[in-house]
Amino acid sequence: MANKIFKMEKKVQRHSPSVRFVHWSVAVSTFVLIFSGFGQMPMYARYYLDTLPGLWWSSDYSVTLPMHYIAAAVLMFAVGYHIVFHLMRKEFGILPRRGDIKESCQIIKAMLTNGEEPPSDKFLAEQRLAYVFIAFWFLVVIITGVIKVLKNLSSITFDGTFMVWTNDLHTFASFMIVFGIIAHLGAFIFKSNRPLIMSMFTGKIDLRYVKHRHSLWYERLQGASSKGCESEDQFKEGACR
Amino acid sequence: MSGISRRDFIKRAVASSVTGGMVVTGAGKLAHAHIKEPWGSFIDLTKCDGCPGLSVPACVSACRKENSSKFPQPAEEIENYWPRNTKEDWSDKKDLTTRLTPYNWLFVQKVTVNHNGKKVQVFVPRRCMHCDNPPCANLCPFGAQYKTPEGPVLINKDLCLGGRKCRQVCPWGIPARQAGVGLYMKIAPKYLGAGVMYKCDLCYHRLKDGRSPACMEACPQKAMAVGSKETMRKMALKRAREIGGFTYGINENGGTSTFYVSPVPFEKIHQVLVEQKSKQTNPSTPGFPGMPVNAGNILDTANGMVTGVLIAPVAGAVAAGYAAYRTMKGGDEGGK
Repeated sequence: MANKIFKMEKKVQRHSPSVRFVHWSVAVSTFVLIFSGFGQMPMYARYYLDTLPGLWWSSDYSVTLPMHYIAAAVLMFAVGYHIVFHLMRKEFGILPRRGDIKESCQIIKAMLTNGEEPPSDKFLAEQRLAYVFIAFWFLVVIITGVIKVLKNLSSITFDGTFMVWTNDLHTFASFMIVFGIIAHLGAFIFKSNRPLIMSMFTGKIDLRYVKHRHSLWYERLQGASSKGCESEDQFKEGACR
Repeated sequence: MSGISRRDFIKRAVASSVTGGMVVTGAGKLAHAHIKEPWGSFIDLTKCDGCPGLSVPACVSACRKENSSKFPQPAEEIENYWPRNTKEDWSDKKDLTTRLTPYNWLFVQKVTVNHNGKKVQVFVPRRCMHCDNPPCANLCPFGAQYKTPEGPVLINKDLCLGGRKCRQVCPWGIPARQAGVGLYMKIAPKYLGAGVMYKCDLCYHRLKDGRSPACMEACPQKAMAVGSKETMRKMALKRAREIGGFTYGINENGGTSTFYVSPVPFEKIHQVLVEQKSKQTNPSTPGFPGMPVNAGNILDTANGMVTGVLIAPVAGAVAAGYAAYRTMKGGDEGGK
């Protein structure tokens, strides 16, 4: 991530094009997967969803099943991209650290009471924990999903009991992802989190916000800037002027 | 059978009678008791006469008797499927033998078609086809249906919630639903779930014991046979050649393990069945299947995408490798 300060604009590059590509690919494909996935449990016809304007197709498995497959391909493309991109760039800042649970409690308490937050790096402790939660359930849903896809082939028949567990785990993981998404969106109830919304579209965030909320990250960016580096990347690679 | 010599005709007739007799009688029992490959069955519509002397065909009666212990015993008070004012309750129609119901897993359709300028009557025993790649089992969201290594497709009545997706994805709409029974009754019976699905299990318990399904054992015409799937398929093809007839079940739904042979084209049989259904009091009532020729498998489209789905994460990784390399070399990612 080319994290850098745009001094004229008083902005900081927070979300790179790759990060935004992965985020929105995952968001859109997950929404389609949830909708078409719930459609695999026969409920849209029973609860009249397919009578709503434009949703006649929602109870037609010959539509929702291929739709689920296409969205799954998009999701897995994005996940493959995400893992390799950050592995190659050795970017592990979003992974949980020791003390994150305690620090998350402090941040949430501060948000609720308008108190002082502990100094944070690029990611808040709660963001790191949220990431590992959602990443874990995405991996579960993908692995069980791939098994389900293979099982649909005429050349493959899995044991019945194994498939019961696989199906149930897939459904359970889907519910956990839904809960994760609700929590993710619910975070924007707090005003202090809202500047990040625009950043996921533009990639840039207010310098003032970074100074105030991500002071540890700001110090690193400042350090890079003071050494004549255009970005944190250049600073890390020693490629500054 | 034009062009066949008298000698050939006698040879073929003797051979088919002996083979058929071996499979459906005691010798057949021995044969399939030891088979290691999947089972299949053969239904010869040139032999089935619908049991004219009986009010209910013998195969149907035998099936009902054999499987009566597996039939549903629903609660006395059954709620409608909220928010709908309907439910599928066949418990007051247990005696119905003219369609598939949770209490009737086999029935015989009577069809008269015009073929080669003659009226031909055929009787078609109908039940689950036990498909090679059954969408009913594959697409059950809870894994409540499964295909056994021996071939029969079974429903786990303790897991089934009665969503009837299996019936919707079955080209013949075979599984029958009974409300007021099963797992959903223990959760939120008014709002979620709808019962349990029931269908022929090819008398799996009997097959495991080396016995023929009850329907086949009871058939006075020996119109049905069970054995290794490949043997049954070959037998059906041979019989069709002998009579200049037609087969059904070899290609339908991507392949099944039930092979019909008819003296008349199945397209014509299907047409009559569709007409019969349309004339019923409520044509949308399930349990009266047609015989669509070359019916496709709903999984075909999705299975055609498998390569793309499985390659997707690899493609993502390759793209990421390129993007990461570019940004590491050029400094600013995806920008300039």
